[in-house]
Amino acid sequence: MSEIKKIIKGCLAGNRRDQELLYRRHAGKLFAVCLQYSGNDDEARDILQEGFIKIFENLEHFKHEGSFEGWMRRITVNTALEKFRCRHNLYRVDDIDTIKEPDAEPDNQDYAGLDAKDLLEIIRELPTKYRMVFNLFAIEGYSHKEISKIVNISEGTSKSNLSRARVILQRRVGSYTGLKKKVVNE
Amino acid sequence: MNEKGANIDLLFRNGLKDYEVLPPPGAWDRIHSAIKIKSRPIILLRIAAVVTILLTVSFLTYKWSREISSTTSVSALSFNVGAPSPVISVPFDDPQYLTAIRNNQVRNSSNFKIEPINYGTISDATDVAFSPEPIMNIQETKSLSIGNNTTVRGPLLALPNRSQVNSIYIQYPDLQYLLVNNSTIPVNRWSIAAMASPTYYSGISSGSDQLSNKIMSSEQPLFSYSGGLSFSYKISKRFSIQSGLYYSSLGQKVDGINSYSGFTQFVNTKGDHNFEVLTSNGKVFTTNPDVFLTANGSDRILTAYTKDVFDPNKASLQPVNSSLNQNFSYLEFPVILRYKIVDKTIGINLIGGLSYNLLVHNSVYTTLDGKIYPVGDTKGLNPLNLSSSLGMGMEYNISGKLSLNLEPTFRYYLNPFSVTTGSFIHPYSFGIFSGVSYKF
Repeated sequence: MSEIKKIIKGCLAGNRRDQELLYRRHAGKLFAVCLQYSGNDDEARDILQEGFIKIFENLEHFKHEGSFEGWMRRITVNTALEKFRCRHNLYRVDDIDTIKEPDAEPDNQDYAGLDAKDLLEIIRELPTKYRMVFNLFAIEGYSHKEISKIVNISEGTSKSNLSRARVILQRRVGSYTGLKKKVVNE
Repeated sequence: MNEKGANIDLLFRNGLKDYEVLPPPGAWDRIHSAIKIKSRPIILLRIAAVVTILLTVSFLTYKWSREISSTTSVSALSFNVGAPSPVISVPFDDPQYLTAIRNNQVRNSSNFKIEPINYGTISDATDVAFSPEPIMNIQETKSLSIGNNTTVRGPLLALPNRSQVNSIYIQYPDLQYLLVNNSTIPVNRWSIAAMASPTYYSGISSGSDQLSNKIMSSEQPLFSYSGGLSFSYKISKRFSIQSGLYYSSLGQKVDGINSYSGFTQFVNTKGDHNFEVLTSNGKVFTTNPDVFLTANGSDRILTAYTKDVFDPNKASLQPVNSSLNQNFSYLEFPVILRYKIVDKTIGINLIGGLSYNLLVHNSVYTTLDGKIYPVGDTKGLNPLNLSSSLGMGMEYNISGKLSLNLEPTFRYYLNPFSVTTGSFIHPYSFGIFSGVSYKF
């Protein structure tokens, strides 16, 4: 029996040591996912907690057929989406248009020197709905059709949000790399 | 742009892959306490199931053993109703009839009584060979024959030993009624009761955070009640087991939520609800499109129609009320054990047990000029709850069969009605049940 199977079995038997071991092993990665989906630290913490509670509650349903880490990630992302839907599904679609668009295209495509921490900070600065669409499309690999159902927007809005998110990200990445180079040169 | 887009996608996908951030301290403790609380009801359900099985097995065993004993006593004692005068024939080839007598299976009638007395009190039954076995005192007996020819006159009867006689004949010409076996003994083991109670309802918060404390401080209990029918079976002189069907209506008032009517014409969003209100028992979703809600200085309402988007005063909506009422109705199936502490005209019982509560209805409403104005319902409620009860019952016996009951009862719900972020609110209630019970 693999180690993860043993840990899961222990968790199902209510063994606190195994439960904590499972948490310690995966909490770091899953918290990064939570932060990626939330612009607010408290909300990210809530997503992590609720996500882990769901993971423990649904552990018996894990079939050991796919990646356990992927299964946990999906639960965490779904928890983040539930929070998002809860807070934002009632906003009218045209509310999105009030967000100011960047005034220029980025010209710097040299992304060297950007680490994961910088990328996370950049992604978290995105307006919520852009961030959701970008995460679901670029990171999780959902199609616009799927995103339109998940986020309750039209496919056109999903494409538009993705496009705007990319523009903002490119600009911010450009600014970050420029700033970093400047610091290094000085 | 597409290529640039794909590049930026890859940059983030690869850059964030396997990235880890140290979770906030205390997160694990909160998760662990939550999963512990959630798993507790499962353990309790198992314990309840085991207790129920044990009680059922004990009850069936007890009933079975009594049936065997009753069959034996029927064969030991018989009543010859065809005789010119009633005659009790007591075959003496099985000492179990003595046990039947000791257990008062031969009971008082208006003019006949048999009861065990001490051997030493017998004085005038000189023509009977006494045995060291227990003996009976027969009052108002006019004639008594032992064996074929031996007759004892007077109030006392000594039972001979089995080697000397095979049966005892008791002749009593005026005897009208005599109860000689279990099937005719008026022991009222079953009883049915109708009970009702006004109930005080509130909740205890565990693992609470600032938000849930804030929410709970704005909630007040509403008038709640519970009532129904119950059956109980007397297992022994002191213990009885009770079950039945009760209907409970619980509720609370949520202050600080202003409601307005006439919003239908302004609704321009899709979806099945316009407002969500956080409460300690879950989220209230509005199902009435005519209602508009605002909260006094808190963020407990989630909506697209925030203050900066829609002003109910400018739109001339009609104010309805400044609070919401939440109502939950449950069907309750109790399994209660009663222990009789005092068994007199006024009896006192100790009551304890578990109940399964099935959610049958939930609604949220407010009132406008005394009339109910529907708002919506509460989402995420547990459909089945387990509650524990503890109480003290007072029973006033009006007659042998009818009694008045008064039972102050505390009830604690073992699992919360629903779970809000970071907290688990366990409701509890206190009620004084009153009603009548009938024994049969």
